[in-house]
Amino acid sequence: MDRDLALPRYGLAYRLFGVVVAVWMTVVLVLGILGPITNLPILEHTARNLYFHVPMWFVLYAFALVGAWHAGRYLASGRAVHDVRSEAAWTVSTVAGVIALVTGVVWSRFTWYQGTGLWWSPEPRPNMVAVQLLISGAYFILRGQLDRPRQRARLSAVYALFATTTMPFLTYVLPRRQASLHPGAEGNPAFSEMDIAPEMRWVFYAASVGFLMLGWWLYTQRTRARVAEIRLEDAEADAPAPAVVIA
Amino acid sequence: MLQPADTTIALYDTAAAQATTVQRVEGIERPMLAEDKLPVVLAVVLIVWLGLLILLFRTDRRLARIERRLDAD
Repeated sequence: MDRDLALPRYGLAYRLFGVVVAVWMTVVLVLGILGPITNLPILEHTARNLYFHVPMWFVLYAFALVGAWHAGRYLASGRAVHDVRSEAAWTVSTVAGVIALVTGVVWSRFTWYQGTGLWWSPEPRPNMVAVQLLISGAYFILRGQLDRPRQRARLSAVYALFATTTMPFLTYVLPRRQASLHPGAEGNPAFSEMDIAPEMRWVFYAASVGFLMLGWWLYTQRTRARVAEIRLEDAEADAPAPAVVIA
Repeated sequence: MLQPADTTIALYDTAAAQATTVQRVEGIERPMLAEDKLPVVLAVVLIVWLGLLILLFRTDRRLARIERRLDAD
């Protein structure tokens, strides 16, 4: 195989990983929906959304970092597999970001903004995240506009690095400078002893790990599919032209 | 097991409605109706998750098959 597209072998260990994710997430879903929660006013049962909404942010950040890492590796090495990995990671990251934003809108609509009719609230975080998602989304538009593979890979790698540097400022630093419903708005770290009840803490950690593993699974699948696609295209390009048969 | 409540009665006679809606909960309904019917949510979510898992595993198998064919060529 072309060294440019070399992937690790996805053998038994990978299949076991899939089984672990399946069991892990099933346990998380059972504990997350049936487990004990602190019944707070306004939140009530929606406190369980902590297990599903917040891990989406971790997936967004983690795979943006993976995407940036492979963008940098592509620029350093020029190997096509890093371009493929970068795009796959960006896809997972952006999808998680959109899910996080939409779930956050639904969650806040029926808790703090209950009775106000406000779907889009003056909350600083979703506003900044919407800006970040526009920046992230432009990555895919950029890719779609370029036809030559090497040029596309190089330009989108540079753009991916740029889009990752705006992420901590837009989604982390700026929202914390303003009054917010999200933890950490007073400049304190989130998820301290006071922010999360002990009986919810471990389910939350397990859910975060589970969603990160699920994200990894999707990321490797997309990587493998794209690499197979490129190899097929290369094989078709290399194949000798079919003989002309005169009937 | 009592008969299901005839809810049309409640429109005319609230006392009768109260008498008939007292039902014994048995079998699978006992765990499923507990805690504001949260277990029903869990059942639905697990069915969705099962469907997604089947898709994930099938995609894995399909990819492995394509990779084997590409390696063989």
